[in-house]
Amino acid sequence: MNQTDKPIANPVVALREEFDDWAVLFNPDMAYAVGTNPVGVAVWKRLDGKRSIEDIVSEIKNSFEDTPDAVSKEIAAFVDTLAKNGFVGLEVESK
Amino acid sequence: MLEGLKNKIEPAVSKVMRTPRKLDIEITASCNLRCRYCYFFNNPAVEYRDLPADEWLRFFDDLGSLGVMDVTLAGGEPFIREDLTALLEGLVRNRMRFTLLSNGALIDDEIAAFIARTGRCDCVQISVDGSCAAVHDTCRGRGAFNGAVRGIRTLQRHRVNVAVRVTIHRHNIDDLENIAHFLLEELGLPGFGTNSAGYLGTCRLNADDVMLTIAERQVAMATLLRLAEKYPDRISANAGPLAEGRAWRMMEEARAQNAPAFPNRGRLTACGCPSSKISVRADGAIVPCNMLNHIELGRINHDSLAEIWQNSPALNQLRNRHTIPLTDFKFCAGCSYIPYCTGSCPGLAYTITGKVDQPSPDACLRRFLEEGGTIP
Repeated sequence: MNQTDKPIANPVVALREEFDDWAVLFNPDMAYAVGTNPVGVAVWKRLDGKRSIEDIVSEIKNSFEDTPDAVSKEIAAFVDTLAKNGFVGLEVESK
Repeated sequence: MLEGLKNKIEPAVSKVMRTPRKLDIEITASCNLRCRYCYFFNNPAVEYRDLPADEWLRFFDDLGSLGVMDVTLAGGEPFIREDLTALLEGLVRNRMRFTLLSNGALIDDEIAAFIARTGRCDCVQISVDGSCAAVHDTCRGRGAFNGAVRGIRTLQRHRVNVAVRVTIHRHNIDDLENIAHFLLEELGLPGFGTNSAGYLGTCRLNADDVMLTIAERQVAMATLLRLAEKYPDRISANAGPLAEGRAWRMMEEARAQNAPAFPNRGRLTACGCPSSKISVRADGAIVPCNMLNHIELGRINHDSLAEIWQNSPALNQLRNRHTIPLTDFKFCAGCSYIPYCTGSCPGLAYTITGKVDQPSPDACLRRFLEEGGTIP
């Protein structure tokens, strides 16, 4: 089996959307939480194992105004951070 | 664009969240012990009855949908519930972590192994009030010490995090050195917490026998401050003689130097709990805190927890308590410690004065000094 380039959210992670557009992602298995902003939430909701990072970046660019040039790198780094902390995995190719 | 990403949640939680982050749940009104200073029993405002597991499980599903992160199960004695594993499974299934508060006596290998397997237990807190049965059992009853130690060792064997809370009272202040040695060196615990018997519940009926006098409080304070230096970072306290000793030293130093007011002092700022957590009684009543069990905000599975959390007038009144200056109170009139004081716990303020929006006389430094106490 091979990993795809399509990240998928760990289903055990809880998303707490808060007032003022910020949110918390909580991994109860790791006892670890991160706070994030609306863009992070939008990215998180797209980590379904069907979209690649490029797909997600494209959708974010369409959903938010004035996205900076570095958004691709920022989103990739964000997903990488989530992966390192057990929040995200990569979908496995089915044969 | 993603600069809002934080590595820790803490900087983001200073204001009220959309839903509570934590819950304290009295999962049962039953207990195998009848401790002489129990805050839980003999509260006239409380209906002592248990809910069936399916009611709790339904509520836990609700908590999961609200994104609640941590639940503390207390009682009563949580391990007395034969359906405890099903309840814990309900918390795990709903993506929460949990803590259990216990006297330890009912913990066996089977339940300890189960807790370890969940991978979601922050700790099991066991009450230990003496270094030996002769001290511990004075207020908790015969066999309680052996049960507590057996429970701790069972949890340790299964690699479950154990926390210990020592409640200080008239019968163990001469045993504090031995308690620290027993817990930290013999049992090998990383640390322990302390508080003291407070004027709540059963303790009110036995206050003269268990609550510290001014002189005893001073002894406990001095001993605990010394032990805290002997065992750095291993003895903690949010209330009781150690917490008071630390806070009062700073307050006295500031007053003597006419130092500027401490941040967020001089008003009723002691309790930040209603900003991040809420409590539920064993009968399903939602209350702001288990020290304020008389303030019923609603019922689980009948009233919306999110609605209560966001809009309850009683809860919002508690949250606004921090706007009330201590200078408003006759009790505080002329006190030179006001710029450094928080007014202390609203739960104790209520049981002592009958009013929540009052400073608590129990933790008043000026009163302590006027009644003959000195700061070690």
